[in-house]
Amino acid sequence: MHPIRLAWIRSILNEYEGPLMRYAARITGDVDRARDVVQETFLRLCSEDPAQVDGRVPQWLFTVCRSRALDVRRKDSRMQALTEAQMQKRKSPDRGPAKTAESREASGRVLQVLALLPENQQEVIRLRFQSGLSYKDIASVTDLSVSNVGYLIHTAIKTIREKLNLSRGL
Amino acid sequence: MSIDPNDPKLTAYALGELDDTERAEVEAQLKESEAARQTVNEIRKTAALLTRELKAEPALALSDDQRNAIEAKAEQVYGGGKKPAPVKRFSLRRWWIPTSVAASLLIVGFVGYMQLGGLSRARELSPRLRARLDTEKQLQGQRLADASRATSPASRRRRELRPVGNVRLEVSASAGPSEERLAALGYVGGTVAADDAYYLPWSAIESGEGWNHKYSISGPACNTEDYDYIVENPFLAVVHNPLSTFSIDVDTASYANIRRFLNQGRLPPPGAVRIEEMVNYFDYDYPLPAGDDPFSVNVEVADCPWKADHILARICIKGQEFEPDERPPANLVFLIDVSGSMRPANKLPLLKEAMEMLVDQLAYDDSVAIVVYAGASGLVLPSTPCEDKGAILSALDRLQSGGSTNGGAGIQLAYDTAVDNFIEGGVNRVLLATDGDFNVGTTSQSELVRMIEEKAKSGVFLSVLGFGMGNYKDSMLEKLADKGNGNYAYIDTANEARKVLVEQIGGTLVTIAKDVKIQIEFNPAEVNAYRLIGYENRMLRAEDFNDDTKDAGEIGAGHTVTAFYEIVPAGVEIDLPDVDPLKYQPAVAETFSVEESRRGPKPAAQGGELMTVKLRYKEPDGDTSKLIEMPVTDAGLTLNDMSDDFVFAASVASFGMLLRGSEHSGDFTYQAVLEMAQASIGEDPFGYRTEFVNLVQRATELQPE
Repeated sequence: MHPIRLAWIRSILNEYEGPLMRYAARITGDVDRARDVVQETFLRLCSEDPAQVDGRVPQWLFTVCRSRALDVRRKDSRMQALTEAQMQKRKSPDRGPAKTAESREASGRVLQVLALLPENQQEVIRLRFQSGLSYKDIASVTDLSVSNVGYLIHTAIKTIREKLNLSRGL
Repeated sequence: MSIDPNDPKLTAYALGELDDTERAEVEAQLKESEAARQTVNEIRKTAALLTRELKAEPALALSDDQRNAIEAKAEQVYGGGKKPAPVKRFSLRRWWIPTSVAASLLIVGFVGYMQLGGLSRARELSPRLRARLDTEKQLQGQRLADASRATSPASRRRRELRPVGNVRLEVSASAGPSEERLAALGYVGGTVAADDAYYLPWSAIESGEGWNHKYSISGPACNTEDYDYIVENPFLAVVHNPLSTFSIDVDTASYANIRRFLNQGRLPPPGAVRIEEMVNYFDYDYPLPAGDDPFSVNVEVADCPWKADHILARICIKGQEFEPDERPPANLVFLIDVSGSMRPANKLPLLKEAMEMLVDQLAYDDSVAIVVYAGASGLVLPSTPCEDKGAILSALDRLQSGGSTNGGAGIQLAYDTAVDNFIEGGVNRVLLATDGDFNVGTTSQSELVRMIEEKAKSGVFLSVLGFGMGNYKDSMLEKLADKGNGNYAYIDTANEARKVLVEQIGGTLVTIAKDVKIQIEFNPAEVNAYRLIGYENRMLRAEDFNDDTKDAGEIGAGHTVTAFYEIVPAGVEIDLPDVDPLKYQPAVAETFSVEESRRGPKPAAQGGELMTVKLRYKEPDGDTSKLIEMPVTDAGLTLNDMSDDFVFAASVASFGMLLRGSEHSGDFTYQAVLEMAQASIGEDPFGYRTEFVNLVQRATELQPE
């Protein structure tokens, strides 16, 4: 029985469960699989030394979650031998839970444009603007260089800007 | 040379990702290129849009079973016969928050385990996460076994007892938390809903920084309020510690909070009493700055009211004032907590009233944006010029409470909005209004503080307005204001709102100097020992004084800042804990006598000066500090020679000492405070000093027999 540690885990759960779930759901394309991935991420955190993880909890969580989610996705693709059509869908996984959020017009548009971008750009954009990670955090999570992350975000924002201006006729 | 609008650096710049050097480079290039400036602007707009929309996506959650499994594991991992000490089983609800002493006791068990480098392990493991839970369990067991072999009890204890600054805390490394221990720390068995938990600051416990001795106070109305445990600054001998260094603090929240307790018929918990905030709550009649510096500095010395042979030095700082129409235009972002906990009348309704008062004060060229946060956050009102006050007021009026508190997302959005509408040379400020109970969100408590620290670099300042009670998180809010180049006020009534947001609007909004640090060098020929009253969580190391990268307090227009030193003059004995003579080098005093005795002490020591006060500050947008220095002598004045201001401020400080149960208040009583305060009310145009006298009267009635 270790109440302080439990409280620590519980407080991290309260704060990161949602963001990790969204992130894992994006990668696996499936809410239930995302739940499994996120649960496992937290179980793993329970085994970690808090003093070592503290201060970089988000990097740690997102790194573990991503790696696990990619594993799950890889396994899925082996087992199901995905058809071309399914792959296509997965590349722009702008369906499922996120879709229902789009009540306002502008919101729909930004997310629609985002969904057209290559997956690696979508991922860094989400990590930056949805989960609030810094370039450095994102670089460590995605195993890219910081300048690489900067380039991806730059390109993504540029495309979004251009598409939005175009569609608004500005 | 103009920058290519297609350079990824522009995006990094717009998102605040560049370091200082790169930022300066980009800024220089931006000056040259209209196109690049426009690009930056568009990038920021797109980023704000993305942030808003992505954060509005619906939340997904684990199933209850999964959560339970995780919590079970969190307990089980440590519980495998490796308890740090036989601990009586408290229910978690009763004791996880109360004290980090409990945490630091338990951490003993972790120490060995820390040293095995969980960090590098995590890096190695993450790419091959195929290692499933079974493997994990084995590893875990292995590590615990290694840990217990690798670390001797003595080395654990050393880590545990490492002294932190002048904080001395007696913790027996072998004892487990006991009810007596918790009770001794002021924890008296209040209930704490575990669901209100926020990220337990492991680093703070481990490093000793801050010593967040959380204890909750019992009582019908108030059950999860958080106050840091304050260890009073001790007397220090001048021979060993000739320098005293601290950061100024203009916050006033503690006084308003204490007033709330006393008005409810209870003495405040000692941790809620920050003496400097009590003293600084009142306005004093200090001279306005005359020279180039944005504030004036004066020092007065007189007899100490509570200790006959000691003297009291008061350092007085007064910031320059602005006429309302001289104030630079303001770009304000209200960041308003509309979570469920804000529903009571003394929170959101009072908050709306307060913000309406503020909006009334604003000029046409000021602008206001409103960001709210609860479970999700959003921009309720984009930056709107005050020409359209109607729109601002009706947006305020529509605010409703509901949901849990995701502070991180809100703060991000508020700062983004402030940056988007940044006014060069103007007032750029986020006003965070909350009860501080952040319980949901993307960021942990320490992350929040870090985030605010990061955001402060954008040149946007912060004001924290605390509301409400019952789950009030004083320690958290104070920290945010401290790290965010900000000020912090507690608003418990419409009157207090008027004081902070109408009468003192200049000080609340306009920062005239930042990173203001004070360093005193005491003259050993005149002073035996000294003690800084209050400012416990603002102490700096002597080296920090000249280090311009070390953050310190801000001062606003018209603010007054007061600090008291209680001084033991040379020749007056004081019983200080002995320090063993050094084995390898002469002590400071010995150096003085052995090596310099032929020359005698430096000539300055013989001039009769008590001390030299040095002050460093930066312009609000500057990066290098300026130095002010002034020597101080003791003219041998008694309290009767002093102004009402001096006596009144001293009475406030002594009241704080009594409320905190200070060991230095001697046989001073509330009655004596009352007499001092009554005699020094002066003109008191707004009735604040009269109110203080009434509070002391209340404390007299409430004190235990």
